[in-house]
Amino acid sequence: MKKHTVNICTGTTCFVMGGSELLLLDELLPDDLKDVIEIKGSPCIGICKNADYGKAQADHAPFVQIDGEVVDEASIQKVVDHLRRLNA
Amino acid sequence: MADTLPVSIPGDSNSSLLQNAFVEVGHFQLCKHNQNAPGDVFLSQKNPSDGRVITTLSDGLGSGIKAGVLATLTATMATKFISYNIPIRRVSEIIMDTLPVCSERGISYATFTLVDIAPDATVKIMEYDNPPYTFIRGEAVIEPSKEATAFERRDKSTGPKNDTRVLYSRFNAAIGDRLVFFSDGVSQAGMGTKRYPFGWTTAKAREFALGSVREKPEISARELARSIVRQASQIDMSKPKDDISCGVIYFRQPRDMLVVTGPPIRPESDKEIVNIFSSFVGKKVVSGGTTATIIGRELNRGIKVNMKSFVKNVPPWSEMEGADMVTEGIITLGAVQAMLEKRNEVEANTGGMDAASRMIDLFLDSDRITFIVGTKINEAHQDPTMPVELEIRRNVIKRIASLLKEKYLKEVQIRYF
Repeated sequence: MKKHTVNICTGTTCFVMGGSELLLLDELLPDDLKDVIEIKGSPCIGICKNADYGKAQADHAPFVQIDGEVVDEASIQKVVDHLRRLNA
Repeated sequence: MADTLPVSIPGDSNSSLLQNAFVEVGHFQLCKHNQNAPGDVFLSQKNPSDGRVITTLSDGLGSGIKAGVLATLTATMATKFISYNIPIRRVSEIIMDTLPVCSERGISYATFTLVDIAPDATVKIMEYDNPPYTFIRGEAVIEPSKEATAFERRDKSTGPKNDTRVLYSRFNAAIGDRLVFFSDGVSQAGMGTKRYPFGWTTAKAREFALGSVREKPEISARELARSIVRQASQIDMSKPKDDISCGVIYFRQPRDMLVVTGPPIRPESDKEIVNIFSSFVGKKVVSGGTTATIIGRELNRGIKVNMKSFVKNVPPWSEMEGADMVTEGIITLGAVQAMLEKRNEVEANTGGMDAASRMIDLFLDSDRITFIVGTKINEAHQDPTMPVELEIRRNVIKRIASLLKEKYLKEVQIRYF
Protein backbone atom coordinates (compact mmCIF):
# COMPACT_ATOMS: atom_id res chain seq x y z
CA MET A 1 0.00 0.00 0.00
CA LYS A 2 1.24 3.47 -0.80
CA LYS A 3 2.30 5.58 2.17
CA HIS A 4 0.54 8.89 2.69
CA THR A 5 2.20 11.91 4.21
CA VAL A 6 0.37 14.07 6.75
CA ASN A 7 2.04 17.42 7.31
CA ILE A 8 0.69 19.26 10.36
CA CYS A 9 1.22 23.00 10.54
CA THR A 10 2.70 23.97 13.95
CA GLY A 11 2.54 27.72 13.31
CA THR A 12 0.94 30.13 15.74
CA THR A 13 -2.46 30.45 14.08
CA CYS A 14 -2.95 26.72 13.58
CA PHE A 15 -1.70 25.87 17.06
CA VAL A 16 -4.19 28.16 18.82
CA MET A 17 -7.04 27.21 16.49
CA GLY A 18 -6.87 23.53 17.45
CA GLY A 19 -3.63 22.33 15.91
CA SER A 20 -2.24 21.48 19.34
CA GLU A 21 -4.62 18.51 19.45
CA LEU A 22 -3.69 17.42 15.94
CA LEU A 23 -0.15 16.90 17.20
CA LEU A 24 -1.51 13.90 19.10
CA LEU A 25 -2.61 12.31 15.80
CA ASP A 26 0.23 9.84 16.07
CA GLU A 27 -1.23 8.36 19.28
CA LEU A 28 -4.90 8.54 18.30
CA LEU A 29 -4.64 7.00 14.86
CA PRO A 30 -6.76 3.86 14.31
CA ASP A 31 -4.65 0.71 13.95
CA ASP A 32 -5.51 0.13 10.29
CA LEU A 33 -3.98 3.48 9.34
CA LYS A 34 -0.89 3.35 11.54
CA ASP A 35 1.38 1.71 8.99
CA VAL A 36 0.27 3.62 5.94
CA ILE A 37 0.88 7.18 6.97
CA GLU A 38 3.88 9.26 7.85
CA ILE A 39 3.28 12.20 10.17
CA LYS A 40 5.45 15.29 9.90
CA GLY A 41 5.31 18.77 11.35
CA SER A 42 6.10 22.03 9.68
CA PRO A 43 6.71 25.59 10.81
CA CYS A 44 3.92 27.90 9.59
CA ILE A 45 3.03 26.74 6.06
CA GLY A 46 1.66 30.22 5.37
CA ILE A 47 -1.87 29.28 4.32
CA CYS A 48 -3.42 31.44 7.06
CA LYS A 49 -2.21 34.63 5.39
CA ASN A 50 -2.32 33.63 1.74
CA ALA A 51 -5.33 34.97 -0.13
CA ASP A 52 -4.63 32.59 -3.03
CA TYR A 53 -6.12 29.75 -1.03
CA GLY A 54 -9.52 31.33 -1.43
CA LYS A 55 -11.66 30.61 1.58
CA ALA A 56 -8.71 29.11 3.40
CA GLN A 57 -7.92 32.03 5.71
CA ALA A 58 -7.01 32.35 9.36
CA ASP A 59 -10.47 31.50 10.64
CA HIS A 60 -10.33 28.21 8.75
CA ALA A 61 -7.23 27.08 10.61
CA PRO A 62 -5.83 24.64 11.61
CA PHE A 63 -4.38 23.40 8.36
CA VAL A 64 -2.96 20.04 7.47
CA GLN A 65 -1.51 18.89 4.17
CA ILE A 66 -2.22 15.32 3.15
CA ASP A 67 0.01 14.34 0.24
CA GLY A 68 0.29 18.06 -0.44
CA GLU A 69 -3.45 18.68 -0.54
CA VAL A 70 -4.64 21.28 1.98
CA VAL A 71 -7.25 20.21 4.54
CA ASP A 72 -8.73 23.16 6.42
CA GLU A 73 -10.48 23.26 9.79
CA ALA A 74 -8.66 20.02 10.40
CA SER A 75 -9.53 17.75 13.28
CA ILE A 76 -8.32 14.26 14.07
CA GLN A 77 -11.65 12.91 12.76
CA LYS A 78 -11.44 14.92 9.55
CA VAL A 79 -7.90 13.78 8.87
CA VAL A 80 -8.80 10.15 9.57
CA ASP A 81 -11.84 10.38 7.25
CA HIS A 82 -9.70 11.91 4.53
CA LEU A 83 -7.12 9.16 4.86
CA ARG A 84 -9.83 6.47 4.76
CA ARG A 85 -11.11 7.93 1.52
CA LEU A 86 -7.62 7.88 0.03
CA ASN A 87 -7.13 4.33 1.17
CA ALA A 88 -10.50 3.00 0.05
CA MET B 1 30.37 42.02 18.33
CA ALA B 2 33.41 40.33 16.83
CA ASP B 3 34.78 43.38 15.04
CA THR B 4 34.67 45.60 18.10
CA LEU B 5 36.98 43.40 20.19
CA PRO B 6 39.81 45.49 21.61
CA VAL B 7 43.30 44.74 20.37
CA SER B 8 45.26 43.14 23.16
CA ILE B 9 48.95 42.44 23.38
CA PRO B 10 49.75 39.11 25.02
CA GLY B 11 51.81 39.47 28.17
CA ASP B 12 51.04 43.14 28.53
CA SER B 13 49.75 43.42 32.05
CA ASN B 14 48.14 46.72 31.26
CA SER B 15 46.23 45.40 28.27
CA SER B 16 42.54 46.02 27.93
CA LEU B 17 41.96 42.27 27.92
CA LEU B 18 39.25 42.52 30.50
CA GLN B 19 37.36 45.26 28.74
CA ASN B 20 35.20 42.66 27.13
CA ALA B 21 35.25 40.12 29.91
CA PHE B 22 32.17 39.24 31.79
CA VAL B 23 32.37 39.31 35.55
CA GLU B 24 30.17 36.46 36.73
CA VAL B 25 29.22 36.71 40.37
CA GLY B 26 27.73 33.57 41.90
CA HIS B 27 26.88 32.68 45.43
CA PHE B 28 25.21 29.98 47.43
CA GLN B 29 24.19 29.70 51.04
CA LEU B 30 22.75 27.29 53.57
CA CYS B 31 21.42 28.31 57.00
CA LYS B 32 22.57 26.86 60.28
CA HIS B 33 20.53 23.77 61.09
CA ASN B 34 17.14 24.72 62.60
CA GLN B 35 17.54 28.39 61.70
CA ASN B 36 15.27 29.85 59.08
CA ALA B 37 17.08 33.14 58.57
CA PRO B 38 20.66 33.41 57.40
CA GLY B 39 23.19 35.29 59.55
CA ASP B 40 25.50 35.62 56.55
CA VAL B 41 24.65 38.23 53.96
CA PHE B 42 25.86 38.38 50.40
CA LEU B 43 25.39 41.60 48.42
CA SER B 44 26.45 42.39 44.91
CA GLN B 45 25.88 45.45 42.78
CA LYS B 46 27.08 46.96 39.57
CA ASN B 47 27.56 50.72 39.70
CA PRO B 48 25.78 52.16 36.68
CA SER B 49 27.94 55.32 36.81
CA ASP B 50 31.44 53.83 36.68
CA GLY B 51 30.81 50.15 35.84
CA ARG B 52 32.45 48.82 39.01
CA VAL B 53 31.17 45.54 40.41
CA ILE B 54 31.12 45.58 44.21
CA THR B 55 30.45 42.39 46.13
CA THR B 56 30.35 41.89 49.88
CA LEU B 57 30.01 38.82 52.06
CA SER B 58 29.35 39.60 55.70
CA ASP B 59 29.00 37.18 58.60
CA GLY B 60 27.16 38.53 61.64
CA LEU B 61 27.96 37.50 65.20
CA GLY B 62 25.88 34.47 66.17
CA SER B 63 23.17 33.17 63.88
CA GLY B 64 19.57 33.83 62.94
CA ILE B 65 17.86 37.22 62.78
CA LYS B 66 20.26 39.04 65.11
CA ALA B 67 23.26 37.95 63.06
CA GLY B 68 21.34 38.75 59.91
CA VAL B 69 20.78 42.34 61.05
CA LEU B 70 24.47 42.84 61.89
CA ALA B 71 25.56 41.29 58.60
CA THR B 72 22.98 43.22 56.54
CA LEU B 73 24.04 46.52 58.09
CA THR B 74 27.69 45.75 57.53
CA ALA B 75 27.31 44.52 53.96
CA THR B 76 25.03 47.40 52.98
CA MET B 77 27.23 50.08 54.51
CA ALA B 78 30.42 48.60 53.12
CA THR B 79 28.99 48.24 49.62
CA LYS B 80 27.48 51.74 49.54
CA PHE B 81 30.44 53.56 51.08
CA ILE B 82 32.95 51.84 48.83
CA SER B 83 30.83 52.62 45.78
CA TYR B 84 31.01 56.30 46.83
CA ASN B 85 34.82 56.02 47.11
CA ILE B 86 34.98 56.65 50.85
CA PRO B 87 38.38 55.42 52.13
CA ILE B 88 38.26 51.91 53.55
CA ARG B 89 39.69 52.99 56.91
CA ARG B 90 36.86 55.45 57.39
CA VAL B 91 34.34 52.84 56.20
CA SER B 92 35.52 50.34 58.79
CA GLU B 93 35.33 52.97 61.53
CA ILE B 94 31.79 53.96 60.63
CA ILE B 95 30.66 50.34 60.50
CA MET B 96 32.19 49.47 63.86
CA ASP B 97 30.68 52.54 65.49
CA THR B 98 27.24 51.88 64.03
CA LEU B 99 26.61 48.21 64.66
CA PRO B 100 24.22 47.51 67.53
CA VAL B 101 25.75 45.80 70.54
CA CYS B 102 24.78 42.18 71.19
CA SER B 103 22.87 41.98 74.47
CA GLU B 104 24.37 38.61 75.44
CA ARG B 105 27.98 39.18 74.59
CA GLY B 106 28.22 42.94 75.03
CA ILE B 107 30.08 43.38 71.74
CA SER B 108 29.10 44.32 68.24
CA TYR B 109 30.70 42.44 65.46
CA ALA B 110 30.31 41.31 61.89
CA THR B 111 33.11 40.15 59.62
CA PHE B 112 33.25 40.97 55.95
CA THR B 113 35.03 40.40 52.66
CA LEU B 114 34.54 43.16 50.12
CA VAL B 115 35.59 42.82 46.48
CA ASP B 116 35.68 45.95 44.33
CA ILE B 117 36.26 45.30 40.62
CA ALA B 118 36.92 48.23 38.29
CA PRO B 119 36.13 47.96 34.58
CA ASP B 120 39.89 47.99 33.83
CA ALA B 121 40.27 44.71 35.77
CA THR B 122 41.80 46.23 38.88
CA VAL B 123 40.56 44.20 41.81
CA LYS B 124 40.67 45.62 45.33
CA ILE B 125 39.80 43.38 48.24
CA MET B 126 39.20 44.27 51.86
CA GLU B 127 38.96 41.51 54.41
CA TYR B 128 37.97 41.68 58.00
CA ASP B 129 38.13 38.43 59.95
CA ASN B 130 36.52 36.17 57.34
CA PRO B 131 38.58 33.17 56.18
CA PRO B 132 41.09 34.44 53.57
CA TYR B 133 39.87 34.54 49.99
CA THR B 134 41.31 32.27 47.32
CA PHE B 135 42.57 33.63 44.03
CA ILE B 136 42.72 30.96 41.33
CA ARG B 137 44.52 31.64 38.07
CA GLY B 138 44.40 28.75 35.62
CA GLU B 139 44.69 25.75 37.89
CA ALA B 140 46.87 27.29 40.59
CA VAL B 141 46.23 29.31 43.71
CA ILE B 142 48.02 32.65 43.79
CA GLU B 143 48.65 34.53 47.03
CA PRO B 144 48.52 38.29 46.46
CA SER B 145 50.37 40.32 49.07
CA LYS B 146 48.16 41.85 51.72
CA GLU B 147 48.61 45.01 53.71
CA ALA B 148 47.19 45.15 57.22
CA THR B 149 45.61 48.28 58.63
CA ALA B 150 44.75 48.41 62.31
CA PHE B 151 42.15 50.81 63.65
CA GLU B 152 40.40 51.49 66.88
CA ARG B 153 36.76 52.04 67.57
CA ARG B 154 35.50 54.94 69.59
CA ASP B 155 33.92 52.76 72.24
CA LYS B 156 36.52 50.11 73.01
CA SER B 157 34.27 48.19 75.39
CA THR B 158 32.01 46.99 72.59
CA GLY B 159 34.82 45.72 70.40
CA PRO B 160 35.99 42.14 70.26
CA LYS B 161 39.02 41.37 72.42
CA ASN B 162 41.52 41.00 69.62
CA ASP B 163 42.83 43.91 67.53
CA THR B 164 40.76 45.06 64.62
CA ARG B 165 42.77 44.59 61.46
CA VAL B 166 41.59 45.02 57.93
CA LEU B 167 43.60 43.28 55.22
CA TYR B 168 43.87 45.10 51.95
CA SER B 169 45.04 43.62 48.65
CA ARG B 170 45.03 44.75 45.06
CA PHE B 171 45.85 43.06 41.75
CA ASN B 172 44.89 42.93 38.10
CA ALA B 173 42.63 40.11 36.98
CA ALA B 174 42.79 38.35 33.63
CA ILE B 175 40.28 36.26 31.76
CA GLY B 176 39.94 32.86 33.38
CA ASP B 177 40.70 34.09 36.92
CA ARG B 178 38.46 33.14 39.81
CA LEU B 179 37.99 34.51 43.31
CA VAL B 180 36.50 32.26 45.96
CA PHE B 181 35.52 33.55 49.39
CA PHE B 182 33.45 32.01 52.12
CA SER B 183 32.24 32.41 55.68
CA ASP B 184 33.74 30.39 58.52
CA GLY B 185 30.78 28.01 58.18
CA VAL B 186 32.84 26.53 55.32
CA SER B 187 36.29 26.44 56.91
CA GLN B 188 34.97 25.21 60.28
CA ALA B 189 32.56 22.62 58.86
CA GLY B 190 32.80 19.34 60.75
CA MET B 191 34.87 20.87 63.55
CA GLY B 192 35.31 18.55 66.49
CA THR B 193 34.57 15.40 64.53
CA LYS B 194 37.14 12.63 64.44
CA ARG B 195 37.90 13.20 60.79
CA TYR B 196 38.04 17.00 60.97
CA PRO B 197 39.10 17.96 64.52
CA PHE B 198 39.87 21.52 63.37
CA GLY B 199 37.15 21.69 60.76
CA TRP B 200 37.39 21.36 57.01
CA THR B 201 39.92 24.26 57.06
CA THR B 202 40.48 26.94 54.46
CA ALA B 203 43.35 24.92 53.00
CA LYS B 204 41.17 21.87 52.35
CA ALA B 205 38.30 23.96 51.01
CA ARG B 206 40.81 25.56 48.62
CA GLU B 207 41.99 22.16 47.47
CA PHE B 208 38.39 21.20 46.84
CA ALA B 209 37.75 24.37 44.82
CA LEU B 210 40.92 23.77 42.83
CA GLY B 211 39.91 20.16 42.23
CA SER B 212 36.51 21.28 40.93
CA VAL B 213 38.20 23.72 38.53
CA ARG B 214 40.63 21.03 37.29
CA GLU B 215 37.80 18.61 36.75
CA LYS B 216 35.67 21.17 34.93
CA PRO B 217 37.74 24.12 33.70
CA GLU B 218 34.64 26.01 32.52
CA ILE B 219 32.71 25.60 35.78
CA SER B 220 30.51 28.64 36.33
CA ALA B 221 30.71 30.83 39.42
CA ARG B 222 27.28 29.74 40.59
CA GLU B 223 28.09 26.03 40.16
CA LEU B 224 31.41 26.32 42.00
CA ALA B 225 29.86 28.26 44.92
CA ARG B 226 27.09 25.70 45.14
CA SER B 227 29.42 22.70 45.14
CA ILE B 228 31.68 24.19 47.85
CA VAL B 229 28.68 24.88 50.10
CA ARG B 230 27.24 21.42 49.45
CA GLN B 231 30.56 19.80 50.31
CA ALA B 232 30.87 21.79 53.57
CA SER B 233 27.31 20.85 54.49
CA GLN B 234 28.07 17.20 53.84
CA ILE B 235 31.07 17.40 56.17
CA ASP B 236 28.66 18.83 58.75
CA MET B 237 26.50 15.70 58.25
CA SER B 238 23.95 17.84 56.37
CA LYS B 239 23.09 19.62 59.64
CA PRO B 240 25.18 22.79 59.33
CA LYS B 241 26.51 24.02 62.68
CA ASP B 242 26.77 27.55 61.31
CA ASP B 243 25.55 29.44 58.26
CA ILE B 244 27.52 28.21 55.26
CA SER B 245 28.04 30.79 52.51
CA CYS B 246 30.31 30.97 49.54
CA GLY B 247 30.77 33.60 46.84
CA VAL B 248 32.66 33.05 43.60
CA ILE B 249 33.66 35.63 41.02
CA TYR B 250 34.66 34.35 37.61
CA PHE B 251 36.26 36.60 34.99
CA ARG B 252 35.41 35.03 31.72
CA GLN B 253 34.81 35.42 28.05
CA PRO B 254 31.15 36.43 27.83
CA ARG B 255 28.80 33.80 26.44
CA ASP B 256 26.62 35.33 23.77
CA MET B 257 23.17 34.38 22.62
CA LEU B 258 21.07 35.65 19.73
CA VAL B 259 17.31 35.47 19.38
CA VAL B 260 15.91 36.38 15.98
CA THR B 261 12.16 36.86 15.99
CA GLY B 262 9.68 38.36 13.56
CA PRO B 263 9.89 39.40 9.93
CA PRO B 264 11.17 42.95 9.30
CA ILE B 265 8.86 45.74 8.19
CA ARG B 266 10.85 46.16 4.99
CA PRO B 267 11.56 42.92 3.10
CA GLU B 268 14.91 44.44 2.03
CA SER B 269 16.08 43.91 5.62
CA ASP B 270 15.75 40.11 5.28
CA LYS B 271 19.33 39.83 4.01
CA GLU B 272 20.74 41.99 6.83
CA ILE B 273 19.00 39.88 9.48
CA VAL B 274 20.26 36.69 7.85
CA ASN B 275 23.79 38.14 7.82
CA ILE B 276 23.61 38.96 11.51
CA PHE B 277 22.36 35.44 12.15
CA SER B 278 25.06 33.63 10.20
CA SER B 279 27.98 35.73 11.43
CA PHE B 280 26.96 35.61 15.09
CA VAL B 281 29.25 33.64 17.40
CA GLY B 282 27.30 32.01 20.22
CA LYS B 283 23.97 30.32 20.85
CA LYS B 284 21.29 31.08 18.25
CA VAL B 285 17.53 30.77 18.45
CA VAL B 286 15.01 31.58 15.75
CA SER B 287 11.53 32.23 17.12
CA GLY B 288 8.72 32.50 14.62
CA GLY B 289 7.56 30.49 11.61
CA THR B 290 7.94 33.27 9.05
CA THR B 291 11.34 34.24 10.44
CA ALA B 292 12.51 30.63 10.24
CA THR B 293 11.23 30.40 6.68
CA ILE B 294 13.15 33.56 5.69
CA ILE B 295 16.40 32.30 7.22
CA GLY B 296 15.91 28.77 5.86
CA ARG B 297 15.24 30.17 2.40
CA GLU B 298 18.20 32.58 2.35
CA LEU B 299 20.65 30.01 3.68
CA ASN B 300 19.04 27.12 1.83
CA ARG B 301 18.55 25.07 4.96
CA GLY B 302 15.76 22.66 5.82
CA ILE B 303 13.71 22.90 9.01
CA LYS B 304 12.69 19.71 10.77
CA VAL B 305 9.97 19.79 13.43
CA ASN B 306 10.64 17.66 16.48
CA MET B 307 7.12 16.26 16.87
CA LYS B 308 7.65 14.91 20.38
CA SER B 309 8.80 18.20 21.87
CA PHE B 310 5.52 19.97 22.52
CA VAL B 311 3.53 20.42 25.71
CA LYS B 312 -0.04 21.56 26.11
CA ASN B 313 0.56 25.29 25.73
CA VAL B 314 3.78 25.40 23.78
CA PRO B 315 4.17 24.33 20.14
CA PRO B 316 7.02 21.97 19.27
CA TRP B 317 10.48 23.27 18.37
CA SER B 318 12.37 22.44 15.21
CA GLU B 319 15.92 21.82 14.14
CA MET B 320 17.83 23.77 11.55
CA GLU B 321 21.52 23.60 10.73
CA GLY B 322 23.34 26.54 12.31
CA ALA B 323 20.67 27.21 14.93
CA ASP B 324 20.46 25.80 18.44
CA MET B 325 16.70 25.80 18.19
CA VAL B 326 13.87 27.04 15.98
CA THR B 327 10.54 27.73 17.70
CA GLU B 328 7.09 29.02 16.95
CA GLY B 329 6.87 32.74 17.78
CA ILE B 330 4.42 34.49 20.00
CA ILE B 331 2.90 31.59 21.99
CA THR B 332 6.34 30.27 22.87
CA LEU B 333 7.64 33.74 23.78
CA GLY B 334 4.53 34.35 25.89
CA ALA B 335 5.18 31.08 27.74
CA VAL B 336 8.83 32.07 28.23
CA GLN B 337 7.76 35.41 29.69
CA ALA B 338 5.26 33.78 32.07
CA MET B 339 7.83 31.23 33.25
CA LEU B 340 10.54 33.86 33.77
CA GLU B 341 8.09 35.91 35.85
CA LYS B 342 6.94 32.98 37.96
CA ARG B 343 10.24 31.28 38.76
CA ASN B 344 11.78 31.97 42.13
CA GLU B 345 14.93 30.08 41.37
CA VAL B 346 17.05 32.41 39.26
CA GLU B 347 20.10 30.19 38.92
CA ALA B 348 19.16 26.56 38.33
CA ASN B 349 18.18 25.40 34.86
CA THR B 350 14.67 24.13 34.15
CA GLY B 351 15.85 20.96 32.44
CA GLY B 352 12.55 20.90 30.49
CA MET B 353 12.45 19.64 26.91
CA ASP B 354 9.72 21.91 25.51
CA ALA B 355 10.60 25.01 23.50
CA ALA B 356 9.95 27.52 26.31
CA SER B 357 12.00 25.63 28.94
CA ARG B 358 14.85 25.11 26.51
CA MET B 359 14.88 28.79 25.61
CA ILE B 360 15.04 29.71 29.31
CA ASP B 361 17.93 27.30 29.88
CA LEU B 362 19.78 28.87 26.95
CA PHE B 363 19.18 32.32 28.50
CA LEU B 364 20.47 31.15 31.89
CA ASP B 365 23.62 29.76 30.30
CA SER B 366 24.38 33.05 28.54
CA ASP B 367 25.73 36.39 29.76
CA ARG B 368 24.86 38.70 26.89
CA ILE B 369 21.66 38.28 24.96
CA THR B 370 20.82 40.09 21.73
CA PHE B 371 17.28 40.20 20.37
CA ILE B 372 16.76 40.98 16.70
CA VAL B 373 13.09 41.89 16.49
CA GLY B 374 11.20 42.29 13.24
CA THR B 375 8.18 44.48 13.82
CA LYS B 376 5.96 43.52 10.90
CA ILE B 377 2.46 42.84 12.18
CA ASN B 378 1.22 39.35 11.38
CA GLU B 379 -2.08 39.98 9.56
CA ALA B 380 -3.34 36.47 10.33
CA HIS B 381 -3.26 37.34 14.05
CA GLN B 382 -5.42 40.43 13.54
CA ASP B 383 -8.44 38.29 12.71
CA PRO B 384 -11.10 39.07 15.35
CA THR B 385 -11.85 35.35 15.74
CA MET B 386 -8.32 34.71 17.03
CA PRO B 387 -7.79 34.25 20.76
CA VAL B 388 -6.91 37.50 22.56
CA GLU B 389 -3.77 36.14 24.21
CA LEU B 390 -1.84 36.63 20.97
CA GLU B 391 0.21 39.60 22.12
CA ILE B 392 2.27 42.03 20.11
CA ARG B 393 5.75 40.58 19.76
CA ARG B 394 7.55 43.80 20.58
CA ASN B 395 5.85 44.10 23.98
CA VAL B 396 6.55 40.49 24.91
CA ILE B 397 10.22 40.85 23.97
CA LYS B 398 10.46 44.08 25.98
CA ARG B 399 9.10 42.30 29.04
CA ILE B 400 11.37 39.29 28.60
CA ALA B 401 14.34 41.65 28.19
CA SER B 402 13.61 43.59 31.36
CA LEU B 403 13.10 40.37 33.33
CA LEU B 404 16.43 39.03 32.08
CA LYS B 405 18.12 42.29 33.04
CA GLU B 406 16.57 42.92 36.43
CA LYS B 407 15.82 39.48 37.80
CA TYR B 408 18.47 37.40 36.06
CA LEU B 409 21.20 40.09 35.77
CA LYS B 410 21.91 39.49 32.08
CA GLU B 411 23.19 42.08 29.64
CA VAL B 412 20.46 42.52 27.06
CA GLN B 413 20.34 44.38 23.78
CA ILE B 414 17.34 44.74 21.47
CA ARG B 415 17.52 45.81 17.82
CA TYR B 416 14.36 46.49 15.84
CA PHE B 417 13.95 46.01 12.12
